[in-house]
Amino acid sequence: MSDNPTRGARTAAEWTTLACSCLVLAVLVALIAARLGEDRDPASPVAVIDGEIRSSDGLHHVDVVVTNYGDDTAANVQVSAELTIDGEVTAADQTIDFLAGDEEEELVFVFEDDPADGELTVAVTGFAVP
Amino acid sequence: MPATATKQRASEGPWRSELLAVVRAASGGLLFGVPLLYTMEVWWTGTHSTPRQMLVVLVLLSIPVFALNRTTGFRKQRDVHAADAAADTIEALAVGVAVTALVLVLLQEITLDTSVGAALGKVVYESVPFCIGIGVARHFLHAGRTDPDDGGGSSGSDGNDSTLNPTLADLSASAVGATFISLSIAPTDEVPMIAGAMSPAWLLALIAMSLATSYAIVFAAGFHGQGTRHTQEGAFQRPITETVVSYLVSLTVAGLLLWLFQREVDPPSDLLSRMVVLGFPAAVGGAAGRLAI
Repeated sequence: MSDNPTRGARTAAEWTTLACSCLVLAVLVALIAARLGEDRDPASPVAVIDGEIRSSDGLHHVDVVVTNYGDDTAANVQVSAELTIDGEVTAADQTIDFLAGDEEEELVFVFEDDPADGELTVAVTGFAVP
Repeated sequence: MPATATKQRASEGPWRSELLAVVRAASGGLLFGVPLLYTMEVWWTGTHSTPRQMLVVLVLLSIPVFALNRTTGFRKQRDVHAADAAADTIEALAVGVAVTALVLVLLQEITLDTSVGAALGKVVYESVPFCIGIGVARHFLHAGRTDPDDGGGSSGSDGNDSTLNPTLADLSASAVGATFISLSIAPTDEVPMIAGAMSPAWLLALIAMSLATSYAIVFAAGFHGQGTRHTQEGAFQRPITETVVSYLVSLTVAGLLLWLFQREVDPPSDLLSRMVVLGFPAAVGGAAGRLAI
């Protein structure tokens, strides 16, 4: 495009675009800068059972919410659920690839036995710090 | 040529000319940045980046964008003064950030559940190719076979093929362009991951975005070849009709690629969701393909 005409004086429309652009970038930079001075808590993912257990086709679905209460990201978050009925333990595991600070992820564990007949526990068993 | 361009600019009016410049910038960013939007590693990098790293990325990004604006940029007029290039750099960064954020929201990678830090990181990192694409927007899609300078032109076809050939050429170009962009995205896990989070309303919004982007790239952004697109002959050569038909071609290409990489699924509604998700980059590629012929 070597034949492009050169720029003349900026028009009102160009000034408007520039003003809006400055506003957008100012908001972006302000949001980032506001987080500069914050003390960052280490990643702290926690898993809890969310709501009622649902039954479908003879299987029992358990909704679990995993929330990272820290500021840093947790990677490869291992979430385990253990259902104990009459001393017999059924365990299940799931992995969340990345969980940013303050972010939450919803999981569903599926058991053949009814969790209401025993004791169900869910927990984060480990994660990596990226 | 400069006189013509200046005359055209004057006839467009300053506000319309400026709007088209912004559309051109957004279109250039989409052409360059869409593949990286479908890369989960970039989402993750943005997610766990620190505020300091984000600011460094923005500062470093502004350097090549400034250099590109001094030579190319997204405006029809070349920047000769550093102040103009600096102003265009600010605008390129702002447009890049805004369009990136919009697409990430459409792809459900930024939702109300996303933390502010993660959203900022995703937008900043994903906007890097967008902003560079804006910086080279004017250099996209050089003269093709319909360029008046090379003496060619599909509109000059004669005989009974005068309508059929341009139509076939456009459909083929859409298919090739769609394949070119979406081939590297189709086999990845990102497509089913994004499609799985899409509600019907979001899918409709993504379809609207795909059509609007395709129209903007071909008929509004002022890329090379736009003039010939408006005068192109053929069965579908009305802007709206051509945009819709080309989008259908892009969706077909997306479906074929999903089948090729064994990514098709039952029920059909899930397959349709994946086709729409992959159809967005395919539509961008299809639009670029039609300008390139």
